[in-house]
Amino acid sequence: MTEQTAIAIQGLYKSYGRVQALRGVDLEIRRGEIFGFLGPNGAGKTTTIRCLLDLIRPNDGSIRVLGINPQGDPVAVRKRTGYLPGELNMEDNLKVEGQLRYYIHLRGNQVDWGFVRQLAQRLDLDLTMPIRNLSKGNKQKVGVVQALMHRPELLLLDEPTAGLDPLMQHEVYRLLTEAQGDGATVFFSSHIISEVEALAERVAIIRSGVIVEEAEPSQLVTMAMRRVWVRFKKPVDPTPLSTVEGITLLPQSNGIRVHLQVGGDMDGLIKALAAFPVSDFEIERPSLEEVFLAYYEAGDGKEND
Amino acid sequence: MFAEFVHSLSCKRGQILGWGIGLVLYGLMMVSLFDSMTAIVGIQDMLASYPKEMMAFFGDVMEFTTPKGYLSIYYFSYMTVIVGVFTASLGAGLLVSDEEKGILDLVLAHPVSRTALFWGRVLALIVATLVILLLGWLSWVIPAGSTGMNLTWIEFLRPFAPLFAELMLFGTLALLLSLLLPSARVAGMLSGGLLVANWLLMGLSNLNKGLKAIVEFTPLYYYQGGDAVDGLNWGWLAGLLGVTLVFTLLAWWRFQRRDIRVGGEGGWNLPSLARRSRRSAAASPEA
Repeated sequence: MTEQTAIAIQGLYKSYGRVQALRGVDLEIRRGEIFGFLGPNGAGKTTTIRCLLDLIRPNDGSIRVLGINPQGDPVAVRKRTGYLPGELNMEDNLKVEGQLRYYIHLRGNQVDWGFVRQLAQRLDLDLTMPIRNLSKGNKQKVGVVQALMHRPELLLLDEPTAGLDPLMQHEVYRLLTEAQGDGATVFFSSHIISEVEALAERVAIIRSGVIVEEAEPSQLVTMAMRRVWVRFKKPVDPTPLSTVEGITLLPQSNGIRVHLQVGGDMDGLIKALAAFPVSDFEIERPSLEEVFLAYYEAGDGKEND
Repeated sequence: MFAEFVHSLSCKRGQILGWGIGLVLYGLMMVSLFDSMTAIVGIQDMLASYPKEMMAFFGDVMEFTTPKGYLSIYYFSYMTVIVGVFTASLGAGLLVSDEEKGILDLVLAHPVSRTALFWGRVLALIVATLVILLLGWLSWVIPAGSTGMNLTWIEFLRPFAPLFAELMLFGTLALLLSLLLPSARVAGMLSGGLLVANWLLMGLSNLNKGLKAIVEFTPLYYYQGGDAVDGLNWGWLAGLLGVTLVFTLLAWWRFQRRDIRVGGEGGWNLPSLARRSRRSAAASPEA
């Protein structure tokens, strides 16, 4: 853990009765980066985030948030953090303004109300509406505003754009990018791959309470299986290609056009193709979604809550 | 803590107002009936003819024509049960109701410690109960001057002290249970049930002397009721408040150490019930 580390998690374990939600999560998030936490429902994303705020207590492992142990001094962590829960619930009998003012009171009135109005305006949020009359999307906007209103150093966002329309999703992306520009670190969970791909500088994939991969989105894509189409000048027997390590011949192949799956780097394939009369060569770049699915298909398919 | 106290009290204003108005109306009605009720010729004979099983729950009915006896029988003998429902439900939902709604998760993500949240809300429970009792007291003491209830304001006030202590005891018991049991509703029902059971046991002990040994271990045995008009039993009062403090400290200790739950994480069912429901789901043909 260095000065440049916003979040450091080591060997984090958490169980709910017999259900093991986290099984040794290790994660390090640098200050000032936007970090995406990817995983399906029940993989352990929310549990990890809630441990960071001392809302739940881990069974084992260590956590440092902005250099502070949240179990030792949760208030200090929360003071410098903005949080948006995945399941957002608020007092139904309050109006939006009343709800936000309550949160501001909890923050010791250290919030610029002008900035709150500005955020509400950008998200097209009516401050006079009763919470009970708000749609899921509008409630989410209240959640985004309360997370950003005190200009926190660290944003912990659990599925920040859930329920928002595409226009508002992009406004939230802009707000997060601006917060990052002001020096904030953004740690957000999502199961929307396009969101993570568009926003995150680094990504961790969690499966059944274990981080299975951590890299930049582009690196993840590179590390994944790629599919290659090779067109030959004349019909060939492609069988020798399948003997190269990491290469699988796919069923759509014929003598002229061969479809291959390549794992790892392309060096072996290119060297093997030197012996063939190649006319064209095309690599299909997998989307992050395909990478993500590949990680899950590799597992047993059973996830815990 | 202050922000949480103000917010919590403000959220309960509807309940406070509802219960307060109810107590005021009841108090006003009973005060206004005092003169006419006590003037009914032969009412003591009539009360004496009632089944003793029925009268066992209301104390010494032969004192009914005195202001102290009237207060005891028509107010303090069962006000613990009536207002106890309010404090038990308030205590059970003080923290866990917001937790079950998923509200507490976000509240505790702000820079407020669990201790501040806990004590802010406990203070709101105390003040809410005091406000209701204050309204109840005013409903007796203000109109009493125009009736034959020749008690001073302090004599009217004294019985409210053990009533408050008793209510807080069951309110904090409900709070503690809510932090131990799977839901606020179960905690409210259990603590309310214990209160009613204790009240019934107290009444029955007036009929069956064998129960006296048991009721000595229950809180209502140390509840003075209308007898406090003549003076407080400070030992009993301190005992009730002491137990209240123990319940509150245990609840605080528990709240410090437990997870703030949200739906979907498990832990809402009792383990044995959860296992049973899983087994029956697995056994059903649709599963």
